[in-house]
Amino acid sequence: MRVRFWGVRGSLPVPGQKTERYGGNTSCVEVRSAAGTRVVVDAGTGIRKLGKELGTDGDAGRTDVHLLISHTHWDHIQGLPYFSPLYQRGNKLSVYARKRDDLHLHAVFASQTDDPYFPVPFAEAQAEIAFRELTDSAKFEIADVKVACARLNHPYIATAYRLTVDGASVVYVSDTAPFTDILFEDEFVEHPPSPGAELPARDRQKLAHMRDGVVRLCAGADLVIYDTMFTSEDYQRIPHYGHSRPSDAVDICREADARRLVLFHHAPERTDTEIDGILAETKTLAARDGGALEVMAAYEGLDVELGRG
Amino acid sequence: MEIAFWGVRGSIPAPGPSTVRYGGNTACVSLRPKNGGLIVLDCGTGARNLGMALMEGVFGQGRGEASILLSHAHWDHIQGFPFFVPLYHSGNRFHIFGGAQSSAMLEGILEGQMAPQYFPVQTLKNMGAGIDIAAIDEGEPFQVAGCTVRARTNPHGRAGALAFRIEDGAQSVVYASDAGYAPSGPPPASIDLYRGADILIHDSTYTPEDGRRYADRGFSSVENAVDAAIAGQVKRLVLFHYDQDYSDAEVDGLCARGRRLLDERGGREIEVTGAAEGATLAI
Repeated sequence: MRVRFWGVRGSLPVPGQKTERYGGNTSCVEVRSAAGTRVVVDAGTGIRKLGKELGTDGDAGRTDVHLLISHTHWDHIQGLPYFSPLYQRGNKLSVYARKRDDLHLHAVFASQTDDPYFPVPFAEAQAEIAFRELTDSAKFEIADVKVACARLNHPYIATAYRLTVDGASVVYVSDTAPFTDILFEDEFVEHPPSPGAELPARDRQKLAHMRDGVVRLCAGADLVIYDTMFTSEDYQRIPHYGHSRPSDAVDICREADARRLVLFHHAPERTDTEIDGILAETKTLAARDGGALEVMAAYEGLDVELGRG
Repeated sequence: MEIAFWGVRGSIPAPGPSTVRYGGNTACVSLRPKNGGLIVLDCGTGARNLGMALMEGVFGQGRGEASILLSHAHWDHIQGFPFFVPLYHSGNRFHIFGGAQSSAMLEGILEGQMAPQYFPVQTLKNMGAGIDIAAIDEGEPFQVAGCTVRARTNPHGRAGALAFRIEDGAQSVVYASDAGYAPSGPPPASIDLYRGADILIHDSTYTPEDGRRYADRGFSSVENAVDAAIAGQVKRLVLFHYDQDYSDAEVDGLCARGRRLLDERGGREIEVTGAAEGATLAI
């Protein structure tokens, strides 16, 4: 399979000179199996360029895209109205995301293109679009690709995905906080927890269970793409925003015996030079005590080949 | 009056090496009237950088006040709002004006962007700053930051977008983003709004060729912008809201095209500039 990064940024797109190398588009990763199955994880602004490529290849009008959504915060869905295959008859799009009690997935997406926010309503898209709502630990197949899910610790709740095909596995873990200081559910967390404050036993158990689920999902994976938006200083200051540090990702990957970690969902303020520095530090951290975990930092246009084909 | 450009792109932010000179952030312009107040025109992603710059001054101390004028609520004109940091500091005050049938409806539109399924802050009420929101009554001039503002709706595809004329004493700036005129050109009310302005910041999404190709999308080409500037007899035309796929070289071409068209069509006296992120203009 081939994993291609179209958008690697968190929060909002950040154009400019300081983000030229790693890229300023928000989250979007494409996984293509040797047999041609196309699974895309998240639809940040990076998906616009994927759409342009699909519009010019031989399959235009016969494109079949399976879109897995980690959660519906803007930086993970805001590119979809600009995904040109939506507007061509004959194309197919299947959208998957976690089932919620309060809103249907279709409504969340349709509202994005409602008046007065966008000129073309969702109902006018020409492609055939289907929605599938998932349980927290769903397992299913998309043609030759096996998909497994795990719940993440993020405001309003996010989902991690493991994709297995061609004898290899890639896991997408974004967005998530570490599983230690705050249990995120649907409520707004206004203030960071007081330093040293102990969590209620129920929250601690729930977090431990969630963490186990993520470690299991990453077990032996060839590639783990992980939300590493925060530095240690960021985490001290705003732990209640729901993101991880590179050290959190390294801990999970080492425990799961994963082969390679990709730092992902870079903070909007992070310059190319700063990401270079974070990558170097994280490599050192991963190699401690003879660790074999490889580390890379996601950039727009990065291709990773895994397994057969 | 000083004008600063924070986002000049249309539709969707366009990061990448080919857009670094003009910039890839969506629409946001700030005006500093002579009295030192602040007016913000639209809140595309450019608003994030404006917000960070403002935090260096009184907004960082919770003593800032600004008026935000929204042309319309398409994403590229409001998507920077949740990332405008001064809104998160109590003590700061913001007066938001935009087009809607009522102030409550305008508030609802902005709340729609903050909703929990889309953004972790969940509601405007969690932002911290003092915010008041008012729907604009098009016929009535109103005062903000010591300036007189008049608004007119331009056609924009199936919707409309407000154009604003801001007068600071004898100086005047017009902001007319997202204007898709009929083949006959700007409506008389829009020409009245533009008339004699020192600066007209005008939608110039497309080359004339792309403009004809995408006529139904409700944007102006550089040709339409030139015609509006000539009809309004403005002093200076600033091209704005470039297509997300145009590279810096293509925007250079758009500006050269603007100059040539002005010269050919009787606008030789009118200056023309392409808006670029980080650039400022003084009247």
